[in-house]
Amino acid sequence: MEIVICRLSAVITALSLSIIFLISPASILAQPDKYEVLAQATRLVNSGDLEGALVLYRQIPAPQENEEGGVFVRSRMEAAKIYFSMKRYDDSEQMCMEILRIYPDNLEAKNLIKQVATAQTPKWLGFLKDMQTYLPTLLRATVMTLILVIITMIVSPIAGLFIALGRISRVRFVSSIFWCYIWVFRGTPLLLQLFFIYYGLPPLGITLDPFTAAVLGLGLNYSAYLAEIIRGAIESIDPGQMEAAKSIGMTYWQAMRRIIVPQTYKRLMPPVGNEFIALIKDTALVSTIAMVELMRAADQIFNATFNIFILIQAAIIYLILTSIFTVSFKKLEDRLGVYENR
Amino acid sequence: MIELVDVVKRFGDFVAVDHVSLNIEKGEKIVIIGPSGSGKTTLLKMINFLQKMDSGRIMMEGEEVGYRRDKKGRLILEKPEIICRLRSEIGMVFQHFYLFPHMTALDNVMEGPVTVKKQSIKEAREIALDLLGKVGLLDKKDVYPAFLSGGQKQRVAIARALAMKPMLMLFDEPTSALDPELVGEVFNTIKALAEEGMTMLIVTHQMGFAREMADRVIFMDEGRFIFEGHSQDVFSDRMDNPRVKAFLDKVL
Repeated sequence: MEIVICRLSAVITALSLSIIFLISPASILAQPDKYEVLAQATRLVNSGDLEGALVLYRQIPAPQENEEGGVFVRSRMEAAKIYFSMKRYDDSEQMCMEILRIYPDNLEAKNLIKQVATAQTPKWLGFLKDMQTYLPTLLRATVMTLILVIITMIVSPIAGLFIALGRISRVRFVSSIFWCYIWVFRGTPLLLQLFFIYYGLPPLGITLDPFTAAVLGLGLNYSAYLAEIIRGAIESIDPGQMEAAKSIGMTYWQAMRRIIVPQTYKRLMPPVGNEFIALIKDTALVSTIAMVELMRAADQIFNATFNIFILIQAAIIYLILTSIFTVSFKKLEDRLGVYENR
Repeated sequence: MIELVDVVKRFGDFVAVDHVSLNIEKGEKIVIIGPSGSGKTTLLKMINFLQKMDSGRIMMEGEEVGYRRDKKGRLILEKPEIICRLRSEIGMVFQHFYLFPHMTALDNVMEGPVTVKKQSIKEAREIALDLLGKVGLLDKKDVYPAFLSGGQKQRVAIARALAMKPMLMLFDEPTSALDPELVGEVFNTIKALAEEGMTMLIVTHQMGFAREMADRVIFMDEGRFIFEGHSQDVFSDRMDNPRVKAFLDKVL
């Protein structure tokens, strides 16, 4: 019984062998050692003998006309990777080039050449390249920062003026309402206010998109600050001005509109300029409520690249913005002071 | 024309104006003299409703104006519109000018007619130019107050008050803040105004006003009228009131 089975298996083995031999490509028959060399090299790599493996890999010849080149590509690729890991970039590139000479479209080889190029460029050059690559993204985000700044710059002085006038009202009730407003918005962090508006209001049934929430938060906060500055400026005007205005028959509001408030403009410029510079920087806080502006864009790119220069680039953009504001407010202050004798 | 009856003003315990009565006739020039803190300025401000009086009455053409009384008889200022209309009929010139610094001389003078009287810019401009010519500052019409001398500022301030065509002009120490050499130009401007027949009440330390244009001189001290009379009486040797004499000895 056992003998029968042994014979049977011998017959099957012989048959299957003859089939393999019949259908296998001629190449395998011609160079049966190619696979053996590849396997040998792989074993050397695994045992740590990289130099030996490299020698073996490089022994595998380029495929002849019509010959299947998988083994060759595989060997050169492995060699290229080993050279790359050994930081022998020229050799690595040469291996890739050998592949590309025969198969110009080989993606793997192309990618490795790119990596070799990247690895060979100094780190700072790579960073510079990153900066160039991401600058448009940062500038687009800067536009959003500027939009937030400009809207707040328009809204908060107007609202601030009304709050200031309410604050100095002789009607106790009115003035205490505005006192409370200023007290709350100046006395709590802007970040908290933004969180409250964006994350705190939805449970109460009011859902705002990030932009509206950002504008609202910045507007409410800066109105409170500007209100106090404007109030101070109004109170710094000589009370005689109000008396003089009243003496020619003006009402309180006429005197405010025509005489008192216009005189505050020049005095307001230095502190308001300060506030607006602070505002440019404070817009960074709205990055916490999903608004993509300069800070958030810089943060995202930094997290993707770990390129410190992206942050420096963002800092430079902030500096440029604040510098422009500083200079323009000084100019504006001078121009508003034409009536002063200095 | 305008009459104050038994007017009182207190600041806390301090009585600034103590039961004062004063009748101002049309065309009359009254000069009030007296030491600092005697209540002269407070009195002026009450006539212009810039200071609320505590008790008393202000009559204009025989009618009580400017105040109502609550149930307890306390005085309450009338509504702002009424007060503003009354004020617009009384011009006031301040010791420290109080020109509007952000407006040119011309705009300062035009401001009242345009904003309060709602006159057209063209009309107001004509009035203002005319008045600036009258105070001799036509060439300074486009100059901001900061670039004017004290005397020039005060003359613009006088023009500003006159632009409202007031029936009474109040002068609160109009030359006290001026350098001595600039007093003359303001003095002459006011004198010219007096000669045109303007009714005026002048609080001053400048005895020239009392001597040269006053129909009546009032000496005020500690909130009261101590002496009232013609300027000749005040400056004559017959002056026998010791407090007036002591004051005059100091200022003359």
